[in-house]
Amino acid sequence: MHEVSKTSIVSVCKLGSRTPRPSGLHTFEPPSHFWVDAVEIPAASASTPSDLSRLAPLVDQLRQRFPTDRLLTQPAQLAPYESDGLTAFRVHPGGVVLVQDASEVVTVVRLCHEHGVPFVARGSGTSLSGGSLPVAGGLVIALNRMNRVLDYQPRSQTIVVEPGVVNQQVSRHVAQDGLYYAPDPSSGPVCTIGGNVAFNSGGAHCLKYGMTANHVLGIKAVFPDGELVELGGRSHETAGADLAGMFVGSEGLFGIALEIVLRLLPLPERFHTVLAAYDSLEKAGDAVASVVASGLLPGAMEIMDKLAIEASEQAVHAGYPTGAAAALIVELEGPEEEVAAEIPRLDAIMQASGAYELRVAKSAADRMNIWKGRKGAFSAVGRLSPDYIVQDGVVPRSRLGEALAEVQRLSARYGLRVANVFHAGDGNLHPLILYDGRIEGQLHQAELLAGEILRMCIRLGGSITGEHGVGVEKLEFLPEMYGEAEMELMNRVRQTIDPQELANRGKLLLSASDVGKQSHAPHPLESAGVISRA
Amino acid sequence: MQHSIPSAELGPRGQAMADAVSSCVHCGFCLPACPTYQVLGEEMDSPRGRIFLMKDVLEDRLPLEQALPYVDRCLGCLGCEPACPSGVQYGDLITSFRAHSERKRSRTFFDRLMRQVVLQTLPYTARFRWAARLGKLASFTSPLLPHRLSNMLAMLPAQLPPSEQLPEVTPAIGPRRARVALLAGCAQQVLAPQINRAAIELLSRNGVEVVVPQAQGCCGALAAHTGADRLAMEAARKNLRAFPGDINAVVTTAAGCGSGMHEYPLWLKGTQEEAQAHALASMTKDVCVFLAELGPVGFAPLADPLRVAYHDACHLAHGQGVREQPRQLLQMIGNLELVEVPDREFCCGSAGTYNLEQPEVATELGERKAAAIVSTEAQAVATGNIGCMVQIENHLADAGRCLPVKHTIEWLADSCLDGHGSE
Amino acid sequence: METIETTEQLTHFVRNQAQVRVRAGGTKPATSGNANVSLVNLSGVIEYESSEFTITVRAGTPLAEIENLLAEQRQYLPFDPPLARAGATIGGTVATGLSGSGRFRYGGVRDFLLGVRFVTGEGQLVQLGSKVVKNAAGFDFPKLMVGGLGRFGIMTELTLKVFPAPEATRTVVLENDNQSDALETMLQLAASQLDLTCLDLDDTNRIRARVAGSDSALLDRVARLQQFSNIANKVIEGEEELALWQAVGEFQWVPAGYRLVKVALAPEQIPPLISDLTPGALRICAGGHLGWIAWPQERPGEELDRVLAQHCCPGLAITGDWHSPLIGEHQGSAFARRLTLALDPESKFTNPQPVV
Repeated sequence: MHEVSKTSIVSVCKLGSRTPRPSGLHTFEPPSHFWVDAVEIPAASASTPSDLSRLAPLVDQLRQRFPTDRLLTQPAQLAPYESDGLTAFRVHPGGVVLVQDASEVVTVVRLCHEHGVPFVARGSGTSLSGGSLPVAGGLVIALNRMNRVLDYQPRSQTIVVEPGVVNQQVSRHVAQDGLYYAPDPSSGPVCTIGGNVAFNSGGAHCLKYGMTANHVLGIKAVFPDGELVELGGRSHETAGADLAGMFVGSEGLFGIALEIVLRLLPLPERFHTVLAAYDSLEKAGDAVASVVASGLLPGAMEIMDKLAIEASEQAVHAGYPTGAAAALIVELEGPEEEVAAEIPRLDAIMQASGAYELRVAKSAADRMNIWKGRKGAFSAVGRLSPDYIVQDGVVPRSRLGEALAEVQRLSARYGLRVANVFHAGDGNLHPLILYDGRIEGQLHQAELLAGEILRMCIRLGGSITGEHGVGVEKLEFLPEMYGEAEMELMNRVRQTIDPQELANRGKLLLSASDVGKQSHAPHPLESAGVISRA
Repeated sequence: MQHSIPSAELGPRGQAMADAVSSCVHCGFCLPACPTYQVLGEEMDSPRGRIFLMKDVLEDRLPLEQALPYVDRCLGCLGCEPACPSGVQYGDLITSFRAHSERKRSRTFFDRLMRQVVLQTLPYTARFRWAARLGKLASFTSPLLPHRLSNMLAMLPAQLPPSEQLPEVTPAIGPRRARVALLAGCAQQVLAPQINRAAIELLSRNGVEVVVPQAQGCCGALAAHTGADRLAMEAARKNLRAFPGDINAVVTTAAGCGSGMHEYPLWLKGTQEEAQAHALASMTKDVCVFLAELGPVGFAPLADPLRVAYHDACHLAHGQGVREQPRQLLQMIGNLELVEVPDREFCCGSAGTYNLEQPEVATELGERKAAAIVSTEAQAVATGNIGCMVQIENHLADAGRCLPVKHTIEWLADSCLDGHGSE
Repeated sequence: METIETTEQLTHFVRNQAQVRVRAGGTKPATSGNANVSLVNLSGVIEYESSEFTITVRAGTPLAEIENLLAEQRQYLPFDPPLARAGATIGGTVATGLSGSGRFRYGGVRDFLLGVRFVTGEGQLVQLGSKVVKNAAGFDFPKLMVGGLGRFGIMTELTLKVFPAPEATRTVVLENDNQSDALETMLQLAASQLDLTCLDLDDTNRIRARVAGSDSALLDRVARLQQFSNIANKVIEGEEELALWQAVGEFQWVPAGYRLVKVALAPEQIPPLISDLTPGALRICAGGHLGWIAWPQERPGEELDRVLAQHCCPGLAITGDWHSPLIGEHQGSAFARRLTLALDPESKFTNPQPVV
């Protein structure tokens, strides 16, 4: 139930009136300084928070510059912006501004800075770590309409794009010249380059081609205080510190990228895509190890387990081996002759690996279908369970087997099903923890399980995130991966760039004021009342 | 996605709505498939945004009136459904939600009037003919009329074809291979009676006996998709009674009608007729699907080579999953070169009465579709829905390309040989 | 100059000095002038997991040592770090951000550095990035170290991604009549699907295109490369081929009395730049993105600085005397300044004053 308060444009929840809290949620501390949607909060605690009082004058300023259809303040306009690809968290933003060019972004950022209002940049809202979760009482700067290609130099193999350009559109744009943009996150048809840059997105081809940072050559950005900065350039090479590289993956904390120069590669001449079925995950894992030991360098190696195969097959009908304990996709790519020479080597490995079924993509359409099945796998798991948590840990490749066995053990211990999809080539696990939020306590159990998986990744010498970023979701685990000195250094860097913590507050690093308040449950930001669970 | 929709309190379709919300994981894969999101670029006008809004309304967290502008802007093209990896039955949700909200929403007098005019004329052949003639007469006053009404008038053809009565039974030519019942449809029968005529001729030449049950009425899709669920249920019940059981299939020639009949089980959920509705829906096939399964006797080649663009009507491609059969059949015609339209699964903006209700978005989509067709250098267009035909023809004309736009079945009938191998 | 042996010594040194300038192999003197601490003894491989495609080494480890070890497992550093023979170390390579001709196929040193341990300006030892090939957790400090010239921290340990070495290589040398033909051929080859490993162009309009991969496919691939360009060419193989690339990597082409400068290029900048560079010589690598300039000792460095700035090219002086190793136009000073505030608040790493 929303009302529009007289003093502020922010919609306010009629507190304590309705919204039966779904069972299985954490108990919340009353928020001290933010208005929060979807949570039962004692009315007394909803006193005018400071961010809200700053928001109203900012919105007044914005009204003079933006037409009403690009400055969203009505509850129904804001509700769809409450979440991104991680629906476990929802925050009602104070407003959304739909910007159309770089100068508008700069104007908005400068006004936010002037008024001390936090802002969150958002592209297509596909983050799986809550990377574009709004800040209560803050502004969402929606960049999806900034989707122009500003310059394209096929001979230099570079393209300059605005942040709202969709990942796959880049490859579509340059395909006529036999080029492509290598990073291919599963959400490629949807996610934007701006988001890819902020979170250093990966994809299925990272072992061979690296992540987004490896394909970003230059960035024009606006710092959270409105200063403009240009980093890198149009050369594939750098001279001097790789500042563009440092900007990539900063999860929006360094401001907003306005123009991005991307490196393009010649499209491989031939692909050879094999889909193998195994009666155990171990055999699939061993096959990957054998491929690596052989000296081959496939473009991609992907494994899916039984549950993931089932879900994906229901969604895409790509002809995955339902009933198999594991499916392995291996893809060779390169010049015709080279791939032809590598095929028998791969064949021999696959034959010896104990695969009970081997399928080779017969056409480009067949290959696309195999990939569509893999790339839709996360969402397809929505068919198996009303809720799930996607994890994104990395372990050294040689310890994949160990890690998977541990995941299975944890799954049994917690009594929760876990589907596994992973980029086997680079040790990037994506356990999908299935739970039903309507069952009392299951969300909490699922989160505990997810936490144990992340800690295992740290223990095995890996990382808590391979490509989704820390976001809101893994905020409390970053200090477990890095030591105190490293965390302090990161915080200090952030302070020099954004002392007010206006840019994407609540992601990657805890607020300076929240450091020390960490606990494992509830989420520290939840305790602080900054975020809430839907 | 978690929700607290009180599905039990929301009637027989409450569970369908809750299930759709529950299976949405908010991944955003629907965004590139959604024409309104592509045109408007805002989250409220995307499938997952609308799911959020509908969920919040059903949970009583958001006033219905605030969500309606965005829910109303949905074309109902169902482009999001095949794009959705987690299998959200978006069509079930939006149709049910529209029915649910219709009872609660307040409309302006003009709105109500428009709605009644549409709902009480379009689905009734005779009334529609009468209204269309009157409308054309009145069109000289159109500058004085509200935009939406003048828009509606602009879509009417300058001259209506003469009224036609379809024969109740058309025997098969040659040995009978099957017996089908044809849904005649309403608006299509007034605007383009040649389509059903072509279908009957084509089927009979292929050895199919065609029955046109005289007691049948409008399929009800128009009512269902605008939230008039009682009218829709009435229409469904009427057709349940009208269509005989001793047939191999119910054949439809308009994508929207076929898709509508496939929804009968949803409309009649929780009623005595639910099982019967399932039975009828499972027998219902687009004419191309039926013909492709039967195996057509053959087609004569066109006199001259012709590039023909095939446009996927949303309610064939997304609503019924029919993409390949029309293409297969068209490709059987010699000298007909079938070309694909870029972004082929994108709605043309016609979408039932959308043209009347959201003219700006409809026009933008129509222009995009026309441009996409023009880019193929096609000389003609084939598609499976009367609404798309009118929309595409108008927008191609606006773009200065007056290409012939014909129903797939017209192309096929024009080239059809009969069972004896002669034209 | 103090030669340190352990990270503890280094942190102690940084804490107690007002200025810290590092050197190791000393192969890039323009970037290590005024050094007061040497890392040559902070050397050795810490961890090498060939099955992981990763190696962790101390900063002062010579490239040659790493390459030999990798070669035993038929692996290599695909970014082809230069000056290995001359005694360059991995730390110096990363700090200067130098990649060789092999960067054409899989990218430069920025694309292969995964994790780094370094000492901040306050003498704090930190470890950032990771030891796995994919990691998106936290700010990407390893990138900052690439080409950072020790201005943001002194590296002590590095983890790099390595790749399986190709079975065999061949090089086709293509002779072009003039510069514009040569550039055109190079760009066409760069955008082709021939999957070349190196693609260099020298100032005599000679293109060197290297093919690497499976032994059995190599001859066919070379034949296609020859057909593709259809100009006078010669195929080089075996020892001669290895020697050719080694000479390139050691900059043996740079005449005595010339200073070496690296420049990051976009191919469209090449023709106008070349005409402004005389009497310097320009070698173009990586399909037109990496340039090496030999600049006469007797010409003022400022002149080259100016030319590069005019063409908006960032440059890095490698050998010889320079006012600053960073010449030409460098972007991002606002970012660098803020990062320095966090990483080196007392500017120990950037203080230009000579240190005794």
